[in-house]
Amino acid sequence: MKKISLIGIVLVFFAKFSFANEVNVFSARHYDSDIQLYKKFTAKTGIKVNIVSGKDKALQKRISEEGQDSKADLYITADAGRLGAFDAKGMFQNSMTPIIEATVPSNFRSDNWTGIAKRARIIYYSPDRVSLSDLSGMTYEDLANSKWKGKIVIRKSNNIYNQSLVASLIKNNGKEETLKWAKKLVSNFARSPKGNDRAQILAVAAGEADLAVANTYYYALMLSGQKGKEQQEAALKVMPFFPNQNDRGTHMNISGGGILKNSPNPENAKKLLEFLLTKEAQQHIVNNTFEYPMIEDVEPHDLVKKMSKDFKQDLKTKVGDYKKNQADALEVMLLAGWK
Amino acid sequence: MGNKLNIWFLSSLLISIIVAIPIVTVFSSFFEPTGEYLSIIKNTFLFEYIFNSVTLLIGVLSATFIIGVGCAYLVSFYKFPGSSFFKGALILSFAVPAYIYAYSLTAFFENYGTAFSIMKSLFGEGDYNNYIPKFDGMFGAIISISFSLFGYVYVLTRASFHYQSQNLLELGKNLGFSNKKTFLNIILPASRPAIVAGLSLVAMETLSDFGAVSFFGISTLTTGIYDAWIAFDDLALANRISFFLLIFILGLFVLENFSRKKAQYHSHTRGNFKSKSLKKLTGWKSFFAILFCSIIFFLSFLFPVTQMLYWTLIFPKHFIDLNIIDLLSNTIILVFLSSFLLISLSFISNYGNRINKNKLLDILTTFSITGYAIPGIILAVAFISFVSWFDKNIIYFFDIKPIFIGSIAGLVIVYFVRFYSLANNGLKSGYLKINYSIDESAYLLGYSKLKTFINIHIPYLKNSVLLIGILLSIEIIKELPITLIMRPFNFETFATQAYIFASQDLLEAAAAPSLILILIASVFILITSRYILKDK
Repeated sequence: MKKISLIGIVLVFFAKFSFANEVNVFSARHYDSDIQLYKKFTAKTGIKVNIVSGKDKALQKRISEEGQDSKADLYITADAGRLGAFDAKGMFQNSMTPIIEATVPSNFRSDNWTGIAKRARIIYYSPDRVSLSDLSGMTYEDLANSKWKGKIVIRKSNNIYNQSLVASLIKNNGKEETLKWAKKLVSNFARSPKGNDRAQILAVAAGEADLAVANTYYYALMLSGQKGKEQQEAALKVMPFFPNQNDRGTHMNISGGGILKNSPNPENAKKLLEFLLTKEAQQHIVNNTFEYPMIEDVEPHDLVKKMSKDFKQDLKTKVGDYKKNQADALEVMLLAGWK
Repeated sequence: MGNKLNIWFLSSLLISIIVAIPIVTVFSSFFEPTGEYLSIIKNTFLFEYIFNSVTLLIGVLSATFIIGVGCAYLVSFYKFPGSSFFKGALILSFAVPAYIYAYSLTAFFENYGTAFSIMKSLFGEGDYNNYIPKFDGMFGAIISISFSLFGYVYVLTRASFHYQSQNLLELGKNLGFSNKKTFLNIILPASRPAIVAGLSLVAMETLSDFGAVSFFGISTLTTGIYDAWIAFDDLALANRISFFLLIFILGLFVLENFSRKKAQYHSHTRGNFKSKSLKKLTGWKSFFAILFCSIIFFLSFLFPVTQMLYWTLIFPKHFIDLNIIDLLSNTIILVFLSSFLLISLSFISNYGNRINKNKLLDILTTFSITGYAIPGIILAVAFISFVSWFDKNIIYFFDIKPIFIGSIAGLVIVYFVRFYSLANNGLKSGYLKINYSIDESAYLLGYSKLKTFINIHIPYLKNSVLLIGILLSIEIIKELPITLIMRPFNFETFATQAYIFASQDLLEAAAAPSLILILIASVFILITSRYILKDK
């Protein structure tokens, strides 16, 4: 009797009926605001959105282990290098539609994946200890300048945003040159790398360092007060600086997604991608996550706009190329002693 | 009889095979070539993994030894205001998983964190960040893991102290030993097996910790396995690191089993057990005892709870957005299914052992309880590799992957492997209390084996089953790495929800699920403490 009921219970959970009108999203972005967005999509189209959230690599792993049986339709993550690497394993299928091609600049997509929102990885400084004239014309390359000895904080080398940044430097300056740069940068560190991007900005506010490297949305998030009053006040003690304005522009990255090779509902996945690029969805994203919009006629959040009226984005280095140099980037950083 | 033997034998065999899958998978792939990708880097990593794991281990073992034995000593031998309160309160630390402790530590001490807010509200504006110590990195990990695990040392040592006869204390007194000398030269050596058993459990849990070390960005063998498998896409390397880790753990496992047997031996020498008259502490000694216990209780339990509560209150939006009903029902489903499976199969194996007394069966059972020593990550990775292999090579005509990967079934099976020892050992100790003569009397009365089982064993074992159920619930509620890897679509538990928020730099959103997790686990622990602390 016990056994029979046991088998019964197990069978119920084995049986996973799939609904025709659904789309299965594996997402490494787990903002509550994204979930609200999916609900809007369902309300509009009647397509149910199922989500597995988790760390990107773990999700990728599951998708590739599941192989042909994978139920995943759409994979969404931050960082172009990750999307590129997953694409290089042949995990995506063509994700383009005329609408996507018309709205997303070619620099921020490939055939198999597209950016959904943008972010810049920039420098933050303490206006108390660093004058704007010290920074005039500053580039990522200048972070290696010995005048910053003991004054810079940045995350660990295992951080993907750092890997993409260094990958873009390798792309522009070559591996050897970048290794020299990394060695000098490491000697400029104010402390052994630790913490997330926000912790780097806080370290500048707290006087542990004069310069920090971090993504744009973290700063706006702190300014918004959503992280509490203390962090809001701390953010006010730090100023953003957009590097490389006189040459190729500031390093850009994306969060984006692609339709998976074995997707059971590719049409629904396309609809969801297109929806995420509508004006309504983009406005929702930029207002909640403080990223830059991917499409033309949407304005970033006011706090983000205030950081820089208009800055030159690095459109010369395709985000799709980060993947090629990420392994070299990690090697360079580790060789340089970047923990 | 012959027929019966086969059924029991086969079911025990089956259980052992399920549990053996991950171990065999790891060992069999040790000799597979690992990928070429960044081979120099991998070598440097391996050294770093081992170095960090060892550092972590030494730190945690020292801390848990001092905290666990210190607390156990105070509450077992002395009476001071609050001593009976602390006796139970100190085990509440089991409710706080190391990763949640890590979140609290960071939230409190980071630049502009809670400590800063407190200073500011007390003394006004000021530059306090430089004066607030930073508990992060390796140090933070050691603290987080120690406070969440010292309970093992505490509980086992306390039990051993409890059973030490008064004679030992009197012996010390007669020899003219001071209290300190009696403790160091007599009590401590006599309790060594219990302490070693507690420390081995701590060591195994420390080596398997994933949440806290990955939060602090420390690469250990366990995160190394995860990285190798996931970042380098190199299952063979993951399995190779697992192999190193398993050898480490195997040593601890043997040590723990050996010590536990010895500890049992000691705890059975109760022949001339005189109930101890606890020494009453007065004056500054009493003050220090209270202080020590209060600090440990505060740091291990009140501190993380208060920090999480504080954040839940000042960021109420995240609490309101939290889908508590879903998280709760998911947790209940997992607890219910896993407990049911674990307890049923433990019954089969224990009952089989009881009526058969077969050597081979004994060995198989011993083998099948090794799962708890193996980190959850290894179990999950190995299970997925095994299912993929099985699907490709054995039953390629039918897809089993969707049934076992990313499903509740797969999740429950891996839980089963991980927690089987808990259920099996719990039931075993319950069975030891039922004398064989009771079975024989029942047979004489014409009861069949099944009837004996249902009418006699089950009522006797009701309490054991309840206790096992509660212990399993606590473990499953806190479990992180297996759930993270194996769970299905739209399926979160309090643990995964907290982890995902935290990994997105949304610690304040992780507070609410963490708090609920701690509260539920605390309630279960308070119920269990009636059993654990039963002083007969």
